[in-house]
Amino acid sequence: MKKMKSTTKILARFLFLAVYLMVNSCGKDFLDRASETEIPEDQISAEATRIEGQVNGLYASLKSGALYGGRYLIYNDIRGDEFLNRAQNGGVTGFTVYLFTNDPADSYVGGFWVAGYLTINRVNIFLDEMAKLGPNIITDAKKKEYIAEAKFVRAMAYYALVQLFAKPYVADNGASKGIPLRLKPEKTTENNAIQRSTVKAIYDQILKDLNESEIDVPMSHSNGYRTSTRAHKNTVIAFKTRIYLAMKNFPKVIEEGNKLVTATAPFKTKTGTHQELLGRVATVYADRISAERILSFPFELTNVPGTQNQLSYYYNIGNLEYHINTSGTGIYNNPNWPATDARKRDLTDLYANTFRYLTKFTDVETYLDWVPAIRYAEVLLNLAEAEAEEGDETRALALLKAIRHRSDANYVFPTFDSRAKLVEAILLERRIELLGEGFRIPDLQRRNMPIVSVGAAKSILPTDPEYIFPIPLREIIDNPDINK
Amino acid sequence: MKQKILLFCLLIWMMMGQAYAQSRQVTGTVTSASDSKPLAGVSVLVSGTTLGTQTNQDGQFTITVPNSQAKLLFSYVGYQDQSAQVGSRTVINISLLAVGEVLDEVVVTGYLVQRKQSFTGSSANIAGDKVANRPLQSFSQGLTGQASGVNIIQPSGVLNNPPVVRVRGLSSLSLSSFPLVVVDGIPISTGDVSSNSSANNPLGDINPEDIASINILKDAASTAIYGSRAAAGVLVITTKRGKTGDAKFSYDGWMGSSQAVRLPELLNAEQYVTHKNKAIANARALNPRLPQGSFPQAGGFFLDTLEDGRIVETNWADLVYQNGISHNHNLSVTGGTEKTSYYFSGNMSDQRGILVKNNFKRKAIRANIDHRLSDRFKFGGSFSYTNSHNQSPNSGSVPGAAFNTSGLGRIAIVQAPNVSPYLPDGGYSVTGNSIGKGKNVLAPNYPNPMPIIDLDKNTSETNRLFANANFEANIIEGLKFSSSYTWDLRNTGNQTFWNPINGDGFSYQGFASNNTAKANNWIFMNNLVYSKSINDHNFVLLVGHESQLNRVETWGGTRTALTDRFFNQFQGGYKNNLPSGNGIGEQAFESYLSSLNYDFAGKYFITANIRRDGNSALSAANRWGNFGGASLGWTISKENFFESSVLGELFNSMRFKGSWGRVGNGNLTNWYATNNLYTAGVYGQDGIVAFAQAGLKDLKWESSSQTNIGLDFTMLDNRLTAEVNWFNKDIDNMILAVPQTLSKGIPGSSILMNVGSMYNKGWEFSLNFQAIRRENFKWNTNVNFATNENMVTKLYDGRPIIASTATLETTSITEEGKSAAQIYAVPTAGVNPENGRRIFINKEGEKVQFQPSAPGAAYTYLDGRTAPTAADQAVAMGNTLPTWYGGFNNDFQFRNFDVQLNFTYSGGNYIYNGTRAGLLDQRIWNNSTEILESWTPENKNAKIPLAIYNDNVSNGSSYAIGANVEKGDFLRLQTATVGYRVPSDFLQRAQISSVRFYVSVHNAFLLTKYTGVDPEISSNGNSNLSSGVERNSIPNGRTFTFGINLGL
Repeated sequence: MKKMKSTTKILARFLFLAVYLMVNSCGKDFLDRASETEIPEDQISAEATRIEGQVNGLYASLKSGALYGGRYLIYNDIRGDEFLNRAQNGGVTGFTVYLFTNDPADSYVGGFWVAGYLTINRVNIFLDEMAKLGPNIITDAKKKEYIAEAKFVRAMAYYALVQLFAKPYVADNGASKGIPLRLKPEKTTENNAIQRSTVKAIYDQILKDLNESEIDVPMSHSNGYRTSTRAHKNTVIAFKTRIYLAMKNFPKVIEEGNKLVTATAPFKTKTGTHQELLGRVATVYADRISAERILSFPFELTNVPGTQNQLSYYYNIGNLEYHINTSGTGIYNNPNWPATDARKRDLTDLYANTFRYLTKFTDVETYLDWVPAIRYAEVLLNLAEAEAEEGDETRALALLKAIRHRSDANYVFPTFDSRAKLVEAILLERRIELLGEGFRIPDLQRRNMPIVSVGAAKSILPTDPEYIFPIPLREIIDNPDINK
Repeated sequence: MKQKILLFCLLIWMMMGQAYAQSRQVTGTVTSASDSKPLAGVSVLVSGTTLGTQTNQDGQFTITVPNSQAKLLFSYVGYQDQSAQVGSRTVINISLLAVGEVLDEVVVTGYLVQRKQSFTGSSANIAGDKVANRPLQSFSQGLTGQASGVNIIQPSGVLNNPPVVRVRGLSSLSLSSFPLVVVDGIPISTGDVSSNSSANNPLGDINPEDIASINILKDAASTAIYGSRAAAGVLVITTKRGKTGDAKFSYDGWMGSSQAVRLPELLNAEQYVTHKNKAIANARALNPRLPQGSFPQAGGFFLDTLEDGRIVETNWADLVYQNGISHNHNLSVTGGTEKTSYYFSGNMSDQRGILVKNNFKRKAIRANIDHRLSDRFKFGGSFSYTNSHNQSPNSGSVPGAAFNTSGLGRIAIVQAPNVSPYLPDGGYSVTGNSIGKGKNVLAPNYPNPMPIIDLDKNTSETNRLFANANFEANIIEGLKFSSSYTWDLRNTGNQTFWNPINGDGFSYQGFASNNTAKANNWIFMNNLVYSKSINDHNFVLLVGHESQLNRVETWGGTRTALTDRFFNQFQGGYKNNLPSGNGIGEQAFESYLSSLNYDFAGKYFITANIRRDGNSALSAANRWGNFGGASLGWTISKENFFESSVLGELFNSMRFKGSWGRVGNGNLTNWYATNNLYTAGVYGQDGIVAFAQAGLKDLKWESSSQTNIGLDFTMLDNRLTAEVNWFNKDIDNMILAVPQTLSKGIPGSSILMNVGSMYNKGWEFSLNFQAIRRENFKWNTNVNFATNENMVTKLYDGRPIIASTATLETTSITEEGKSAAQIYAVPTAGVNPENGRRIFINKEGEKVQFQPSAPGAAYTYLDGRTAPTAADQAVAMGNTLPTWYGGFNNDFQFRNFDVQLNFTYSGGNYIYNGTRAGLLDQRIWNNSTEILESWTPENKNAKIPLAIYNDNVSNGSSYAIGANVEKGDFLRLQTATVGYRVPSDFLQRAQISSVRFYVSVHNAFLLTKYTGVDPEISSNGNSNLSSGVERNSIPNGRTFTFGINLGL
């Protein structure tokens, strides 16, 4: 009996111990395993350099290869008649976009939408962080600068989305259904449902952001590299000329353009960073930090565009996905672009005796060509068009000549007997000057003109559903209000 | 925590000091009743405890029994069980009656070993020899058709590609549905640990010949002891350990040869040229505005001739596939004394696949020792070291790679047959990143596979150490303490080199990327087991604690732009260097567990398990979860009324059992999913931080509750054994990556949430029959059959989940009210006989026809009116999960010959044959000969639309279409083996105890109406949401092997 008793006692002690351990889940420290390679939310604005890191993060987001770092430009060129597809690679490298058969399930076009809204959400989160920021981490002036840069990034992202996924503003002065307008930070599972705002509401927001940004962005950044890759005063104004042009608000284009362009040649900026046309057009692409490049998206080995997004992979012999259309309505075949033009001579080449290709982007080894997002040449053409439409035709012609004569000094323009003829010449000049830089489709859409597609082998009318990209499938499925 | 574990151990030691010794030894001899010969290897168990031993070669045993009430149970394969009350005896001699084979007599639940008769859950036991000596890389591939309710799919013919393993259906949608794999007590990682196109299944690190048994725990009452990680079932692997007796050597070896089968029949050069030019002409006739550059008026394709006048004709499959020769050798030694036993084995495997340069090599050694220090203390240790080397060119057949343009599986079917891989001078024929165009005007757009085969290198090599030390102490009578520490240290090195000439490396001008992963995984377990028998009441109580930590660190770099083509490895000269593949992850588990087994007189059984688990990957507030289960069993055949009735004559035994349990799934692949996180990066030259993850702060366990009701019986003098189970597995609080509206801008567009529910229910039947058991002719047959109904009952907000194949093509949808992972395609209604256009059916049920490259609208109604696109009209078009499946296994023995025939079958599911979409694509790609029957004005009743060059919509390349949905039913002869055992009198002179030769064929034949390469394919691997899709994967090969089993 004695034995039994002590056995029972021992058992009781074991049970007590077991129960004790179970009740006091003692593994708190053992089970605390935080990420060692990512930064938790509560420390994200704890240091000044980390806040600046967030601002850089917004630009990095915008220059994603899926967005401005590649596909924004590519989609806007391959839908037209300037390029022929060679590689037939399906949705991955825009073949379906080229053929106008991309559907809502197209994961790459969907990826563009995702990258756009990810950038917008990151801006919204950053603005929220700044609103909550404690004192003494950064100065108020610095904070305002950062907020202004963030708003510029948001404006660019909204413009890219509204241009590709919504009817042009000019179709009905923005009355059409546009895209969802999201201005609040999203980190939770709420707010899946949102209706599309009108195109006008999106443009209003873009202009609001740009106008507010213009006030607080710095005149320049700490060095040339940063000045050409982050927004400053002239960047914001230059982008406004693009927005107003898309809205056919020519007086405003002239007003904003005049902030950046002298009244007469040689055209250059009057204040802020110095911007002007370079002497040789080829230098614009060779010299990444030059006076002509107002905003570029930089690429380095540590931040590459990602596979199958790189401009030189598409247009150069990286993979030569698309080569220049040298026949039909393609600009290369246009008699008004003679072979003497430096843009033809220096910026195109022939591959395997078969394919004419664009050589603006040349790095077919590491694909680090900087993406020219805003060039001074574009500002001059924006202004020229506005002047030709509703302003000073002489200045318009002078601006046009500045562009053409840089590359073809002896070219003689015909006499333009109407504003319309002059405008036509300026639009043609844009096709030449901005080839491969993402302007072909927006230039047609903002005039509500059919898209001449070699891929689909027909003209896509503004009334055709394919004229714009369809809203991605996942947005339709997960957002019950998208079609309300 | 650590201090507390120490304290725990210390207390146990203290109490042990106070314990009283009362146990004593019993010895005896076990003989066969028929011939009185001693039986070696008879299991001797103290009833109701885990105390046990085996008889030695002379049939003798020595066992320590706790007290005189103890009852000994003797069991041996092929003999009836017997028991004996110890009483005051110290010598017990027993003779056993033969009853024929009784398979799987014990069930290893990981913490306890139970006899099958007292196990009331649902499990399947697969003997190690079922997975040994087969041309496989991991045991997991060998489970096909062996157990009811366990479905295995080989996703492709790439060696060591992890198979899809599902126990009782799909267990989760966003977490892994792969069962927990526990090897000698430690849960180990599964999946693919390769970072390149070679597959590396970590289960391939376990030498299949070292496996003694695989117990598959299926119902929740038995898996509940694994608590939070048991929702997908548990595979408990027990490796071989030493057996008492003289040292026994055995050698097993085989050699094999594999070939590709069921490859599609493609157009030859002449057919290709004719067909493609016709397609161009068809397109131009339709729309003269088509650009000359892409649609040349004079045709785009022309035959090329060699110098000797023969036309250039390349069968790319001949260059991509091979006869793969493999061999495998295994040597083991086992033996021991009553105190010490040991096992030692060495394995060398060198296997070549059907894909050229696909190679799997394993070198493994394993040693273990068990030693009884005294009556009280036992010590054991094991050690194994494995080197697995996987090599494969880019096959395009590992998950995510289906659309890779350099995937050899794809190149073999799409590459133009009228061009040669070589120039007349022997060099590679290339233009840019494509093969040279020969005489064609339009240049092919796929790479030349030869530089990829010759020069690229993708390897994944694992060095892995498994080590275990365990200790057992009998504290007082019936009370046993055991402690075990297992260490699983894995080092995987992945090496990638892509040549600069053609293929993946072209655009980098040469590319190399290496990384290594160090996975340091340990588990420390401490258990107390108390066994007690009072009269007919038998109890076993287990209380335990365990903690596990798994830390994975990876680091590596990528180098691009070769300075010199001399180099073909990472270490050569490159212009650009970048870090890549760097990361750290850590996951910790801590658990308290307990189980109680009770039976009364071997008639009534109750088992209860509880486990409290903590998982570091869940939120701090919800990381602890309680799981448990209970089961009841009633051996009705032991009741007097049964025995005395006719039933007693009809049945030898009969038992009812029922169980219910609740287990969890916390197998998050993201170990930090509950946090909002920001990632670092670089913009230009400046550092960035960017919002990268939206986490859910209150994420908790996904739980699954399962009911099992079963009946098993034996009859016809124990020749027939049958088991029937019905199960219902309800999964709720399912952790779902809930799709977030894209415009919210959430990184990854999803957040893990506990929403959703799903169930699997079905029947499982298993029948084993010794049809013939004459001395010279035996036939044993086993049929297993299972049904499974999977149903998703709730998703977040009722919103479906869309999934894609290799992130490119939307192929799958999971909706409420349907089985998960339905094929998501636009329904079709054949071809319009009037004009040869594909007819789609939109969601309104209207017929819409499609015309590619049309000058007018692409989509029109049949009356010609413009219709909206059909591209976005996809609907769920069929379940991809089999609703019935099983195996049919036969063993014959005729004199010294033996024959095994193992069939597997499965069905009730649909497959999306995406490969067929590619085979009928009207771009530059080659087509299958099926295209020759496409619509022409002369052939109006065609199933394939009029061929129009560049058309990638009509046959499903642009988006998935109903015409490519096929039924997946099949019957396969998985293995057929013929063996011959050399007569023993012949061997005695050579002092060899046994020799067996055998030949076998794997994947011998396949009966199916499925037209793709294999109905068992899964291009998306183990994906829950996009199963049942075939896209450009290489098929499973057919393998012939010749082998020998030698015993010394």
